[in-house]
Amino acid sequence: MSTRNKPSLSTPHNTLKVDTFTCAWCGLTVSTLATDGTRRNHCPACLRSQHLLDHVEGGPNDCHGQMTPISIAVLRTGDWMVIHRCVRCDELTSNPVCADDNQLILMRMAVRPLAQPPFPLEAFGDL
Amino acid sequence: MPRRKKPGGRQRARRPQRHKNVLHGQGGHRGHDFRCVGCRLEVSLDAPGTTHRNHCPNCLASRHVDRRIPGDRAAHCHGRMEALSMSVRPDGEWVIIHQCLSCGELSANRIAGDDNALALVRLALKPLRDTSIAHRTLLAL
Repeated sequence: MSTRNKPSLSTPHNTLKVDTFTCAWCGLTVSTLATDGTRRNHCPACLRSQHLLDHVEGGPNDCHGQMTPISIAVLRTGDWMVIHRCVRCDELTSNPVCADDNQLILMRMAVRPLAQPPFPLEAFGDL
Repeated sequence: MPRRKKPGGRQRARRPQRHKNVLHGQGGHRGHDFRCVGCRLEVSLDAPGTTHRNHCPNCLASRHVDRRIPGDRAAHCHGRMEALSMSVRPDGEWVIIHQCLSCGELSANRIAGDDNALALVRLALKPLRDTSIAHRTLLAL
């Protein structure tokens, strides 16, 4: 009597199935896998994400707030990471930059501190 | 270094900063200064421009003691937090993003008035230091 059905195990994983999500901010339909095969979690056009994972406790989060990109971090390898912040609960996450992300927003975030320095940058000419 | 204020711009009424009573350790004595985990500098808690000083003004290193709310002392990690990147609020204030070296948690804290300006600018220029990525990004615009 070994007629147990294991449909999830018997069916091969369909790698050609295109998995998509819709950006909650700009409405763009984005494929979940980037061109280089990595999973993406933010929209490549507006770089916004949604707060679905709890990064302090671990596991899923029911906040579902919008996560806006706030800064660019650099790993030791030289790769850029986007720091996201949830507008509802102020949670911070860091995600790797995909190749097809909006370069204008990335560059704008990278030079943003220099546009509004808290002290005159001319003072560094004396050093 | 005075806080930048927009001349004539609309000033939104901002929530005043909560007063922070730092209790060091389980004994619960009031903290007046702390020693930096990075450069061992003795740092006073009184900082110009902020009531929540959580990083060393010399090397910008911090310690992972707070969880969600500044000053709650609920994290048991106590790892060293290094300044990871610089962010800017819409009103132009710089915010340091710290990352815990032992658990990878991120936190944000406003810069203080006596923070090392050279360290701050080095942190802000970090994305542009590796010229290959910056070039590629500029060319792709």
